[in-house]
Amino acid sequence: MASTTQIPVPPATRVAPSSKPSKQGRGRGRARPNFLGGLGGWLWLAVIIVPIYYVVVTSLKNQAGFFTSNPMLPPAEPTLDNYKLVLENDFAMYFVNSLLVTVGSVVPALLVSFMAAYAIVRGKSRFLGWTNKLFLLGLAIPLHATIIPIYWMITKAHLYDTLLALILPSIAFAIPISVLILSNFMRDVPNELFESMRLDGCSDWAMMWRLALPMTRPAVVTVGIYNALGVWNGFLFPLILTQSPSTRVLPLSLWTFQGEFSVNIPAVLASVVLATLPLLVIYVVARRQLISGLTAGFSK
Amino acid sequence: MSVSSASSRRVLERGPSGWLAAPALFFFLLFAIIPLAGVFFLSFTKWDGLGEIKLDGFSSWTTVLTDPVTGNALWVTAKIMFFSFIVQAPISLLLGVFTSASQKYRAVLAVLYFVPLLLSSAAVAIAYKALLDPNFGLGPGLGIPFLAQDWLGNSDLVLFVVVFVIAWQFVPFHTLIYQGGVRQIPASLYEAAQIDGAGRVQQFFAITLPQLKYTIITSSTLMVVGSLAYFDLVFVLTGGGPGYSTRLLPLHMYLTGFKANDMGAASALGVILVVIGLALALILQRLGGKNRNASQLEGA
Amino acid sequence: MVKLTLRSAAMAVTAAAMSISLAACGSGGPSSASASSDSATMWGLTGGNQPVLQKSIDAWNKAHPDESIKLDFFANDAYKTKVRTAVGAGQGPTFIYGWGGGVLKSYVDAGQVADLSDFIASNPDVKSRYLPSVLKNGVIDGKTYALPNNNVQPVVLYFNKDVFDKIGAQAPKTWDDLMALVPKFKAAGIAPFSLGGQSKWPDLMWLEYLVERIGGPEVFANIAANKPNAWSDPAVKEALTKIQDLVDAGGFVNGFSSIAADSNADQALLYTGKAAMILQGGWIYQSMKTDAADFVKNGKLGFTAFPSVSGGKGDPANIVGNPSNFWSISSKATDSQKKAALDYVKSGMFTDADTQALIDSGAVPVTTGIESKLAASPDKDFLSYLYGMAKNAPTFTLSWDQALSPAQGDAMLANLDQIFLKKISPDQFVSTMNATIGK
Repeated sequence: MASTTQIPVPPATRVAPSSKPSKQGRGRGRARPNFLGGLGGWLWLAVIIVPIYYVVVTSLKNQAGFFTSNPMLPPAEPTLDNYKLVLENDFAMYFVNSLLVTVGSVVPALLVSFMAAYAIVRGKSRFLGWTNKLFLLGLAIPLHATIIPIYWMITKAHLYDTLLALILPSIAFAIPISVLILSNFMRDVPNELFESMRLDGCSDWAMMWRLALPMTRPAVVTVGIYNALGVWNGFLFPLILTQSPSTRVLPLSLWTFQGEFSVNIPAVLASVVLATLPLLVIYVVARRQLISGLTAGFSK
Repeated sequence: MSVSSASSRRVLERGPSGWLAAPALFFFLLFAIIPLAGVFFLSFTKWDGLGEIKLDGFSSWTTVLTDPVTGNALWVTAKIMFFSFIVQAPISLLLGVFTSASQKYRAVLAVLYFVPLLLSSAAVAIAYKALLDPNFGLGPGLGIPFLAQDWLGNSDLVLFVVVFVIAWQFVPFHTLIYQGGVRQIPASLYEAAQIDGAGRVQQFFAITLPQLKYTIITSSTLMVVGSLAYFDLVFVLTGGGPGYSTRLLPLHMYLTGFKANDMGAASALGVILVVIGLALALILQRLGGKNRNASQLEGA
Repeated sequence: MVKLTLRSAAMAVTAAAMSISLAACGSGGPSSASASSDSATMWGLTGGNQPVLQKSIDAWNKAHPDESIKLDFFANDAYKTKVRTAVGAGQGPTFIYGWGGGVLKSYVDAGQVADLSDFIASNPDVKSRYLPSVLKNGVIDGKTYALPNNNVQPVVLYFNKDVFDKIGAQAPKTWDDLMALVPKFKAAGIAPFSLGGQSKWPDLMWLEYLVERIGGPEVFANIAANKPNAWSDPAVKEALTKIQDLVDAGGFVNGFSSIAADSNADQALLYTGKAAMILQGGWIYQSMKTDAADFVKNGKLGFTAFPSVSGGKGDPANIVGNPSNFWSISSKATDSQKKAALDYVKSGMFTDADTQALIDSGAVPVTTGIESKLAASPDKDFLSYLYGMAKNAPTFTLSWDQALSPAQGDAMLANLDQIFLKKISPDQFVSTMNATIGK
């Protein structure tokens, strides 16, 4: 039993791991209830839920209530004033900034990475091999270590305090992991399919969009979600490369709210809730796709 | 590679043009490789962020290498890396196995488990700052004196608090990776084991663990290399304090550069960060080297 | 199917975002609506003076639409983090908010702030409105680079009269009194001192006053002048030892090093009666006046000078803190921005309305001839006390973290934090800090 060697998984299942639980899980689950596992599961749920509960409950208290009431009990008179206060403080603008930066970074990053991954997998030139190695190197290096030269470059390019200052480096930083995941998936596309298209006289451009893209869609979704989460929640670039409220993004706005609302902890926590809300909505609406999308690329 | 694909490649000759990789390469060179060279260069200069950049030989390096704070930052980074790994890896592995099963309640729990994925580090840090307040937070709320400790102010405790909060934020992601990995294990293996009369624990060690080898490597690599980038969470949660007890290397670099305004020394710290990242990646790649070959072979 | 759901979700989000952004465009505040791209920009700090400054700028913009100023506020720590990067990037505000001292000097050395000497010379009214002792903090090498813009902010020892009454104690006059109070409050279940240790700079107030009381103002003057081994003065070591004694005695509230002064949590402990005393800047009176109006109005807030230390050389009337905050004008600003800025400094600042608003907020403006106004204020007890304190002090030492260069200041705060946590000894502090001299 223990000698079972690695079993090659057929490409099809790996390309599109279905979101429905597979059979073996069902088989095992029926054996006999796993009390220990269940206990651990509920325990971890408590670990996850308690902080979230605290944040939500506190955000509904007024400031006096926060100091006097029991922190873990729901407020006697819930109030939405804190949310109003946050929304009045340009929250919508920060939200739009975050959205622009995320879309502006992820879409181009996906596009250039996809093209690069296609070239790297299908091409054979030494140049492409070298390019691929460079990207792999980029995975190993904590790119944030280069923030000082980036700050200098952005300053010299007169991009400091613009959304573009956040977008450009974010694109660059997203490329290595995107190319890696996309090219891993692209290798699984049967060569014969490319050959037959080639024989039909299709160009690389056509093969890329009409064959490679549909076949690697799960990976594209993975990479897109992964990068979007990273950019949406990014903090270091906005902290260093922007300053004015008009270019502020959500994570940075939380940090500044924390200073501005000072002792008004309920308002600070309301801003945390509001900043998370958009992603939560997406999660509720498209949970399956998000989860299976994230899994598809990393469980390779 | 099958024979047919090799022969057809000969027919195709050149493969797609290297130009397809050019846009990605351009971004990556401009905002990752050039800054990387820049951080080396700046480590030999003196620059306060305001005036001129002046060549200054090895003086930044002397400063950094003789400063005990650097050693401390390395030590803190190593501790956080180590403890984060030994806390996160088993929990995410077990939760991954737990959530991959099909019972309804587990699926519901899994939905909640993944919520922290949606929060930015800034949000998590702010929430925990309020939650861990010894006067108005969780401890007094639950009336458990043990929880009313000075979590963020006690330099012996704070490191573990940081490790815990990091785990809270990142375990969901790794759980997801493991969940995907477990679901790819062929059910037949478990069925065979059950016929052999193997118990749950035996199955876990004999089938699940060996089958997850590559998932473990992927997740561990992301965990270890990722711990070099825990900047934002710690910055907002503790600011590196109390004292230097959570001032890990990326944070030390930031504070040296943008708070003490010694960009030369900060760049030297950046170089150290890059070197550590590379070294770790090389070590991990040696461990996981087979993984890449395997996946490339399977692709054909 | 999958694709459809995802796409419709994305479209819903985009649509929502569009509507929000449109709404945001329609509802811009009055200040942003009137600001053109070449308006002078100003960054202020959140907190006590925020409404006063906002009012002053609103009034200015209303009267001078062609010279309008765009005002943004930052929290203290966020401001200090951001302003330098922005100035370094050549995109700092026209009005640079500051404290004088070594930080101002670093801007001067880099040529980032304008020399205002000629402006002062040609506008004697501007010069004469300030207390001279405060004005000189904006002077470097005989040239004026910064002008005071708000109120005197000496560090004061505040106490909660209710809890003092409860245990029948008096405000401490000497360090020995202070140490004797510690066990009494502890026995009553009240923390003797609140402290915003996470922000680090409140720690510094203890060191500043103790060194001042023990060794007099020369000790720090030597350090600020970068004299070799200036930190080795015995007064520094004695002060650090006294701090650690107080920590050992349990003088500071449980969890002090995770309490942030920026969030005013340290003051909250005082007025909620969880702590008996706090050593803090004059500005917290303003925020307590709003956050704990009843507490202040009913006279529950006591205030006194930092106690004397027996055998100390320092005059007990000497004070530390911030003489004021200052405006510097960016040398990188456009001519029209500079003109607007100087015009505001000349006739928009410290108008009667401004001065009154400052006093009403619970602050002492740095201008001359305000005694009668102070006496008419409902906060006259505190304001007159503060005013007298500032006026009669033989020496007013600027907060050390501002007086020193940024690199020294950062190292000092981090090491002092270690002293409070008892992670290092006074000797280690002294030798580490001596190594930073000249940096």
